[in-house]
Amino acid sequence: MDSSGDYKKSLDYYKHVSLFWTDLLSLMSSRPQMLTSTGPFRKLGVNAKLASAEMIGVNQHLVEFNNHLLEYYKQLMDTWNEAQKQFGKKVPEIPTDTEHLDSTKRIWIDIFENYFTRLFDSPDFAENFGKLVSSELELAKHWNNISSIVLESANLPTKKEIDELYKELHLLRKRVAKLEKISGMSGNGNGKRA
Amino acid sequence: MESELRIDPRIIEEFLQLNKNILEAPKLVAAPDEINLEMSPYDVVYTEGKMRLLHFNSNSKRQARTPLLIAYAVINRYHILDIHPQKSWVRNLMDQGLDVYMIDWGTPSEMDRYLGFDDYVNTYMENCVNFVSNESSVEKVTLQGYCTGGTLAAVYASLHPEKIRNLVLTAPVIDGSKDHSVVANLAKHIDVDKMVDVIGNVPPEFMYYVFSILKPFEQGFEKYVQFFKNIHNKDYVENFIRVEKWLSETPPIPGELFREWIKNVYQENLLIRNKMVVSGRTVNLRDISMPVFTQVAVGDHLVSPECSMPIHYSVSSEDKMLRIYATGHVGMIASSFSQKKVLPELGEWIKNRSEK
Repeated sequence: MDSSGDYKKSLDYYKHVSLFWTDLLSLMSSRPQMLTSTGPFRKLGVNAKLASAEMIGVNQHLVEFNNHLLEYYKQLMDTWNEAQKQFGKKVPEIPTDTEHLDSTKRIWIDIFENYFTRLFDSPDFAENFGKLVSSELELAKHWNNISSIVLESANLPTKKEIDELYKELHLLRKRVAKLEKISGMSGNGNGKRA
Repeated sequence: MESELRIDPRIIEEFLQLNKNILEAPKLVAAPDEINLEMSPYDVVYTEGKMRLLHFNSNSKRQARTPLLIAYAVINRYHILDIHPQKSWVRNLMDQGLDVYMIDWGTPSEMDRYLGFDDYVNTYMENCVNFVSNESSVEKVTLQGYCTGGTLAAVYASLHPEKIRNLVLTAPVIDGSKDHSVVANLAKHIDVDKMVDVIGNVPPEFMYYVFSILKPFEQGFEKYVQFFKNIHNKDYVENFIRVEKWLSETPPIPGELFREWIKNVYQENLLIRNKMVVSGRTVNLRDISMPVFTQVAVGDHLVSPECSMPIHYSVSSEDKMLRIYATGHVGMIASSFSQKKVLPELGEWIKNRSEK
C-alpha cells in the first residue's frame, strides 16, 4: 500500500476510535443529569464529536488538496523551464540596444504565451485542475458542516436550512408569477415598472 | 582580465523613465474605484429581482420603429457596451437611429442561487421583451445577445420566435464541443454538481482565475508595462483604467444557471444537438426562423469562433448572415475597429429589417 493509503487508513482508525469513545462515554453517562442542561453547551457537547470527526475529514482532504496543488505547480514549473529553454535557443544573447531589447521581449512573451496556452489547453492540466477544485470543495463541505454544528448548537438556522428556504421562496415566486399571468392580474409577474 | 559590458544608454534611460512614470502614475490617473462607468444617460424602466431594464436616452432621429433589446452576458457587467464615448456600442447604434434597451442582470446574491435558464429566459427576458414591445407599440423586437447573453438570446428566440423580428448573436456560446479555448477545456473537467451544491453561486474570483490564464503574459505583464509607458497619454490611460475596472467587476453567477450552462453547453453539448430542456420544453434551434446575424471574432480567445459559428448553420432562417471579424472578443464590441467596421454593418442590417 502506498503512503497516502497508509495515511488514510490511520486517519480512519483515529476517527473510529474518537467516535467510539465519545459515543460510549455518552451512553455510559448518567441520563438524569442531562435534564439539568438544556442550553447550547449541552448541544455543543453532543455535537463536539461531529466537529472532531469533521476535523479528521479535513485532514484527509487536505492531503488530497496538497497533492493536486503540488501537481499544479509542477506543471507550471515544468512549462516555465521548457519555455525558458526554448527562449534560450532562440535568443542566445540578451541584446544591449533598445530596438533589439524590445523585439527580444516580444519573443519572450510569445514563447511563454504559447507554452502556457498549450499547457492550459491540455487534458492533463484540466484534469488536475478539476481534481484540485474538487478537493477544495471537499474542504469547503467540511467547513460548512462545522459551521452548521456551531449554528445548530446556538439554535440558529444552518446553511442547509437557509438554502431550503431560498429554494422554497424561489419556487413560490415562480408560482405567484404564473398564477398572476393566468389570472391576467399582471403581465410581468413579480416585476414592476420603474 | 577585465570584461566589458556595453549597454545602450537608451536602455538605462527608458528604464529610468518607466520608473519615473510609475512614481507619477497616482498623480495622473484616477483609481478604478473613483471612476464611474456610467456613460450614456438612461432610464431604468422596469425591474424584477436584481434585474433592471435600461432604456437609453437618444437625441438622434429615430430611423426604425422596431426597438433593439440587448441581452448582455452574465459574466462582467454591461458597461463594456458603453465604456467610452468614442467606443460605445450603444451610442453608435443610437446615432444610427435605433431605440436601444439593455438588460442589466444585476448582482445576484446567495438568495438567487436557484435562478436558472428558465428564470433568465422565460421570466426576465420574456418580461423585458413584453415590456419593450408594449412601450414601443410593436409586436416584435430585435434581440441582440453578447457572449453568454447570446446563448440566452438564442434559447429565447427558439422558444418564443413569434416575439423576435431579428436576432443578432455576437460571439455567442453555442457549441462547447467545438470550443478550443482554455475556458472550454476547464469547463469540461469541472465537477459542476459538487461546485454548485457546496458553494451555491459561482464567485467572481473563480472567473478571474479563468480569465487570468487566457493570455497570462500579455494580460498579466505586457499590458501593465504598456500602461506605465503610456502614462502621459490621457486617452490611453483613461480607456485602460475603465476597461480594468470593468474587468474587475464581474458579479457572481447564479449556481443553477452555471450548472445548466456547463452541462448543456460544454459537458453534454445538448444545446447544439437540440436536446436542451428548459422548463419542460426542448430547445430546438431550428425553430429560429427570423433573420439572424451572427458576429464572431477570429481572435476571440474566450469564445472561439468554432463555438459560435454553428448557430448560423443550425437555424432555419432563410435570411441569415455570418460575419467573421479580424479582432478579439472585446475588440469586436468596444474598439475603434468595431465603430468603423462592425457597428455600421450591424446598424444597416437591423434597420433594413425593422418596421419603419
